[in-house]
Amino acid sequence: MNKKDLLNNKYFIAALFLLPAVIFSLVYLIIPIPLSAYYSFFKWDGIGAMEFLGFDNWSKLLSDPIFWSSMANNFKLIAISLVVQIPIALFLAVLLTRKIKGASFFKTIYFVPMLLSSIAVAFLWRYMYDPTFGLINGVLNLVGLEQLTRSWLGDPDIAFYSVAAPVQWRFIPLYMIIFMAGISNIPKQLYEAAEIDGANNLQTFFFVTLPMLRSTVINASVLIIVGSLKYFAMIFALTGGGPNHASELMATYLYSKSFTEMNMGYGSTISVALFLVALIVSFLFLNLSKKDVRN
Amino acid sequence: MNKGLILSLTLLMVFSLFSFTVMAQDEVTLTLWDIRTAADQATPAVKDAIDRFEADNPNIKIEHVPTQNDNYKTKLRTAMSADNAPDIFMSWGSASLERYVNAEKVSSLESYMTEDWRSNFMPAAMNLGIVDEEVYGVPVTNVSPALVWYRTDLFEEYGLEVPETYEDLKNVAETFIDNGISPFALANKDKWPGSMYFMYLVDRIGGPEALQKAISREGAFNDEAFVEAGRKIQELVEMGAFPDGVNGLDENASQSRTLLYTDRAAMYLMGSWAYSGIKNEAPDMVEQFSFFNFPAIESGEGDPSNLVGTPGDNYYSVSTKTKNKEAAVEFLKYLTDVQMGEKLIEIGNIPPFTGVGDKINDPIMKKIYNSSQKANYIQLWYDQTLPLELAQVHLNTTQALFGMEMTPEEAANQMEAAAQEYYGE
Amino acid sequence: MLNKIKQLVIYFFLSIWLLITGYPLVFLVQNSFKIRMEFFRNPVWSLPESFTLQNYIDVMESGFYIYFINSIIVCFISVSIIIIVSALASYAIARIDFKFNKLVYILFLAGMMIPIHSTLIPIYKITLSMGLYDKLSSLIGPYVAFSLPISVFILTGFINDIPYELEEAAIIDGASRFKIFKAIILPLIKPAIATVAIYNLTLLWNQFAYALVLTSSPSKRILTLGLFEFQGQHGINIPLTLTALFLSVLPLILLYVFLQEHIIKGMTAGALKG
Repeated sequence: MNKKDLLNNKYFIAALFLLPAVIFSLVYLIIPIPLSAYYSFFKWDGIGAMEFLGFDNWSKLLSDPIFWSSMANNFKLIAISLVVQIPIALFLAVLLTRKIKGASFFKTIYFVPMLLSSIAVAFLWRYMYDPTFGLINGVLNLVGLEQLTRSWLGDPDIAFYSVAAPVQWRFIPLYMIIFMAGISNIPKQLYEAAEIDGANNLQTFFFVTLPMLRSTVINASVLIIVGSLKYFAMIFALTGGGPNHASELMATYLYSKSFTEMNMGYGSTISVALFLVALIVSFLFLNLSKKDVRN
Repeated sequence: MNKGLILSLTLLMVFSLFSFTVMAQDEVTLTLWDIRTAADQATPAVKDAIDRFEADNPNIKIEHVPTQNDNYKTKLRTAMSADNAPDIFMSWGSASLERYVNAEKVSSLESYMTEDWRSNFMPAAMNLGIVDEEVYGVPVTNVSPALVWYRTDLFEEYGLEVPETYEDLKNVAETFIDNGISPFALANKDKWPGSMYFMYLVDRIGGPEALQKAISREGAFNDEAFVEAGRKIQELVEMGAFPDGVNGLDENASQSRTLLYTDRAAMYLMGSWAYSGIKNEAPDMVEQFSFFNFPAIESGEGDPSNLVGTPGDNYYSVSTKTKNKEAAVEFLKYLTDVQMGEKLIEIGNIPPFTGVGDKINDPIMKKIYNSSQKANYIQLWYDQTLPLELAQVHLNTTQALFGMEMTPEEAANQMEAAAQEYYGE
Repeated sequence: MLNKIKQLVIYFFLSIWLLITGYPLVFLVQNSFKIRMEFFRNPVWSLPESFTLQNYIDVMESGFYIYFINSIIVCFISVSIIIIVSALASYAIARIDFKFNKLVYILFLAGMMIPIHSTLIPIYKITLSMGLYDKLSSLIGPYVAFSLPISVFILTGFINDIPYELEEAAIIDGASRFKIFKAIILPLIKPAIATVAIYNLTLLWNQFAYALVLTSSPSKRILTLGLFEFQGQHGINIPLTLTALFLSVLPLILLYVFLQEHIIKGMTAGALKG
């Protein structure tokens, strides 16, 4: 093959385009999962000797009630996040893409939760949730709704929902921006046509905006689903997965097994399980939404 | 982002990396990892020791890398795992140190232990740094028993005396509950604060032998002492002795002490470091605080002078990875000398060194010191005494007790099951 | 008249959300002016007794700005690399019809599912062996690699939606793939690139797991780690920490305000759809 043929060979070109991404991924991404799978067959504290266990960790995982309840929490988080974040983000995006005064101001303030780190957000919300001094109970008491006051983070029945709330709060602006970008890409002609046809706001939204945003919404959903399955930071900072595993997620459980209890073998097992669950759920979702890889 | 900006940023970064890697030739650098962040109490004392050491050894530099407590554990474990330990590192002695010793990550200090140096340390403290009869870590920061701190003015207001027995304590608690005050300030999100109640109850009911036998497997973790301790905790919970939502409150965020400062709680079972905490956070209320030992249980076998706590708190060790063992050990001497002791006392700690009693002036600290000396036995926190796997089960089950999510029997049985799995019998 | 009511309703909803979003920020600022004891004694949401700037001084003096600069350097370099690398890869997947095309895409998607903590120890060892331990550059590799799957996902989807006709003409003219990529595709995917940039920037800015294990000396510390400085084992200065939090977010807010114009321009320069 002479040079020109080589340069035109689609495999060669594809390889060139993919090379940088593949290098980064190979070194930092591809190795950990098989390695975790390997560790999952051993008893290992991370620093000492490794003891071969066969499938013991895996059978332990399958009968581990904490693992299953944490997975249930992840799925609850997916459901809550999809139902809360997408509609609110859409709503705000629609409102803000109209010509109103002060849109920039609103947009800036709305984005602030995303700029704070999860730890910062956890910090703030901890004080809002304080049963004695916090804002939420304080306001409830003020307006005469004392019976609604709770120990938001200490009550195992509601602890999970209490930590799910700041997660929504933090990520809505992100999807709001993504949807705003999507909306501004919709050709004006479509709106003009709708107006001529006499459509009101609601109809315009459902028949013009939403269909045009379909792939954006699907993208956002995938991000939310994967993010919810992997989520760690804020939950860990707020409750550490407690009280007594009430707000445990797969990733927080993984962390406490691997790093707090130094049970690297079992932690790796959870890692691989998390990975597989995420894989299956995402592909199911993508297939259901019939998203084509290629045109 | 335009290309020029990217280019200049890259150059800037390369330049800064370069300048950081250029080092003086004959200089020796020792890396020191611990938890002495800006907000940590003992930091000024350790910084002072570093300064003195560097002044006396101009060609040695100490690179101090403090990390906040919880992050510190992750950081150290990861480094140990990849065989990249720092020259000098900190632990809490006993099980936490043992693990690293067994993995051959720690240098033995035995050959450096002159009579002089060895006798510098309180024996109880020294013990926790010894593994297999060799010294692997030296105690440095604090003799810190858990004590019941209380608001003297609130006790006075309600005509209460310091309780001598557990029954007295319950009566005191009743009085406070009747007056809308939470008897105990407790923030149990991180599980270890609640564990203090459990440990004391076990000790007062069954004496130190209860735990010792369970560990040596002559006894079990579901022996009566443990179950009874669980019952007493739940009795207190049902009475209303602890704040609302106790398992969701964060001790690190002072959510317990806030109750204490605002007259919403009267007592606080906590390590003696609480005293410095109070001095820092509420200096104008310090006069209103004192402490008493955890009361005796009349029907129990425990010695009421016994304490639960740590005789040394933080232990410093030299890793096997170091290339400058002599220098590192020399630094440890600075961390444990007379000036260090005086600096620690200044800060409000009780150094685990012999002969410091006379140097303590603060009346509360003197009282703490005397209590520690009088104690026949200081039980180290369970989560440092037990191997990690069991420590976690203990913390989890105890937290569940506070949340009324397990019966005392269930908690004790779970603990015993984990022990059987770990010890293999 | 109807219009006026519509406007009012819109402002009503916007204001509610403003309250929900903005109050924590107000809380942050108002408490940054309190001194330690005050925070404990008065209700958390009361106004400060006096507006002391001591906390601000303390934070500035703690070497805070070094952490800030470190974060900026690492994040911006990483995001720049991510954009270039993922755009190249996405184009190949979306447009070049080679045999393992679908497999490569699926592999990238799978990369999204990897939990970060399971990569900590392997990456630590690799970084050590590369001699990059305790250097800021050690963060770039993991940051880029970790963000690639999602970036590729977003960009590939976007490129797929671009009608093929735009490139057909260029191909017939014999233009090289690279030229097509640079001259036609890149300008058309600006909105997606903006999305990728913002998403990754905000996630990476708040990342600290990698920095915790891969860096050591204070001079290499990034912002999220630096915030832990104010928390000790047995005590915390809450107003001080809140001040640090506020100061760490303020420049970002200013940057965002400044860049908003460009971001909006970038996002609205969309592809023409028939």
